[in-house]
Amino acid sequence: MQERKSLIKIKPKRYKNGEIVKVSFMVMHPMHTGMAKDKKTKKIIPAKYINSVKFIYNGKEITSMKVWESLSVNPVFTTYMKINGKGKLTVKYTDNTGEAHEKTKKIKPKG
Amino acid sequence: MQRRDFFKKLGTVAAVSAVMPAMSFAGGSKPVSPNKMDYNTAVKTITGGKTPKPSKKVKLKVPEIAENGAVVPVTVTVDSPMTESNYVKAIHILTGKNSNARTIDVYLTPANGKAMFSTRIKLGGTQKVVALVELSNGEFLTASQSVKVTIGGCG
Repeated sequence: MQERKSLIKIKPKRYKNGEIVKVSFMVMHPMHTGMAKDKKTKKIIPAKYINSVKFIYNGKEITSMKVWESLSVNPVFTTYMKINGKGKLTVKYTDNTGEAHEKTKKIKPKG
Repeated sequence: MQRRDFFKKLGTVAAVSAVMPAMSFAGGSKPVSPNKMDYNTAVKTITGGKTPKPSKKVKLKVPEIAENGAVVPVTVTVDSPMTESNYVKAIHILTGKNSNARTIDVYLTPANGKAMFSTRIKLGGTQKVVALVELSNGEFLTASQSVKVTIGGCG
């Protein structure tokens, strides 16, 4: 299984308890639709796309996504989240070939 | 070769090479998407037969002209209080003409605090982009906008 680079970004960087912050999850993924041809070999590149993404905050699933093949290469998922105490935010994804990956970020509200 | 002839030939070469990529894109056996679904079927599958009504509460932000169809930023914002009793259950982003009309289904909870989702999608050509929003009371709202695509992104 290939390890992929991913990143969780929270805006603003300093936040308080109860504040609603913007959360972005970025991942390096080719997102092949299964429809494009390789320019050199002229063969169809097999489909490889993310099909499920989950945002889990302190064990509770806050946002889940069902993804189809027509998202861009290296997709970004941005949504909002209410800060509710210390803990961690985990983003998990799986793709259609069975690849799974997760990324965790500590949530440390100030004040 | 006469100078005049040379320029004539140069002209045809340029014309042919301009058409060629378009032909290679459209011609031959075109592969189909693994989850082929047209727009109307997609809407029916999601709403279960209900008719979504256009609403100003749903704000869809897409560029009117996208130079590159492979990367089209889409932002959907819904005006909702996001409380336990009244919140946005799901945001679906659909396309009018892509091989698979569905791009992403986002299921939100009151813990989000604000109903907003943004991502980047691929568009195969000029078409409309639709945001279909499901509220917690079972209502469906929608907003759409057409996007002009210069270079398709699904080839």
